[in-house]
Amino acid sequence: MVQKNKLFLVDEGSISTYDDLIKDLNKLNKLPVIINDRSAYKIFLHLLASIIYDFPVTIIDSDFSDNEVKALGFSENDLKGYFNIEHAVKVNELNIFDSFDNTNNWKLTIFTSGTSGVPKKVSHNLSSLIRMVKVDAKRFNNIWGFAFNPTHIAGLQVFFQAVMNWNSIVNLFGKSRKRIYQLVEKYDITNISATPTFYRLLLPYENEFKSVVRLSCGGERFDQRLTLKLQSIFPNAQILNIYASTEAGTLFAAKGDLFELKPDLKGLVKIDNNELLIHKAYLGKSDIFIFEGDFYRTGDIVDVIKKNPLTFRFINRKNEMINVGGYKVDPLEVEEILNSHPFIIGSRVYGKKNSVLGNILIADVKLKDKISEKELINFLSDKIQMHKVPRIYNFVDEISVTRTGKIKRL
Amino acid sequence: MQDKILVHINKILENKNNVQLNKLTNSMHLRDDIGLDSLDLAELTVRIESEFGIDIFENGIINTVGEIIKILENGAKK
Repeated sequence: MVQKNKLFLVDEGSISTYDDLIKDLNKLNKLPVIINDRSAYKIFLHLLASIIYDFPVTIIDSDFSDNEVKALGFSENDLKGYFNIEHAVKVNELNIFDSFDNTNNWKLTIFTSGTSGVPKKVSHNLSSLIRMVKVDAKRFNNIWGFAFNPTHIAGLQVFFQAVMNWNSIVNLFGKSRKRIYQLVEKYDITNISATPTFYRLLLPYENEFKSVVRLSCGGERFDQRLTLKLQSIFPNAQILNIYASTEAGTLFAAKGDLFELKPDLKGLVKIDNNELLIHKAYLGKSDIFIFEGDFYRTGDIVDVIKKNPLTFRFINRKNEMINVGGYKVDPLEVEEILNSHPFIIGSRVYGKKNSVLGNILIADVKLKDKISEKELINFLSDKIQMHKVPRIYNFVDEISVTRTGKIKRL
Repeated sequence: MQDKILVHINKILENKNNVQLNKLTNSMHLRDDIGLDSLDLAELTVRIESEFGIDIFENGIINTVGEIIKILENGAKK
């Protein structure tokens, strides 16, 4: 039984309990077909309701521009679409998760940064999304520091892990370092799952925070130095390295940078030419997945340390996506928009290693007419999300290319 | 030194269409007082590194203008 007033979600300026959540679930008479809300509470509320009523939903970022939404294949009318709830279920704390075992129509569609300028559409059924969720009594008092965008798969998986254990969730995503520490202390946060970029923002060490017992780190390459520093800030935390992707969700966890294949994944993962391949049984559904037999090429390059049990370390991505603070940016998409500016002849967008974000975007631009950095930034930020906008511009005479004639990026 | 850093910070503020600053003080907080976000801080490291050859965030996040100056002064002595 959940005690009265157990917190469900603490989000800047708004605090809601599980009672509030259940009340609000019972008030709904329709559900958006596409969830693109700014508020984490509304995203979670509508997501839960969509499962209860077995309606398929799509989640997109609320900060997409109209053009970006159009590029995903949606019209303005699509954004206004609703499912009507005709036979309302009286939701209570005993039946709220009943529907989790028997969804037929429900699927969740999300978008991952694509390699061709168009984000990839990936649909998951509930069993693949909650595959790694562990529910048991000892997790009942966990308090989650929520450090991912709630519209992305990592955030959704943390959400399910938390809500299915009746845990409180404290939203830390996008908060300042000072505020994050205040929230960790005030709410005695026990678990945090985040990207290395998020953790880097917590450095350097000033105080110990003893309430945190588990930290997981994923989405970018493992950083040993960072792990050591985190251990001094969170002395009681077990630190785990997670491998997850939008295509498959969470797949592996490791204590250091070496992943060892668990016996239950045997036969579902293989390595070919140093690239990690995953069996289709473990993936969501997307038209864009290209299978080789029953396997999907992840594009992740690994170094095999041991054959049996299979043990490996991640090296990098095969394609050219640039990781900016945990967000993958396709340089081709940005170049395409830059090149659409009437004053620009050509451009090259690439990443430069950066101690704050992992990488920062730089653009070399060849101009036809004079234009300022500020004008370029304004031009781009109307069309794409801020993390995709290059921050440094070099105005050059020629755009450098590699020997194969491709634009040189790193 | 403050003036040199001010130029870089103002460049970032200008590109964001924010009001530029007349003066920096050592106690100013980069996020809370000046309003820089993590993308801005990343940009600031690159701009300062290109002038001074020092990655100010190499050993973790710093919070105030004074901390930047301290790192740059320590780096210059080496």
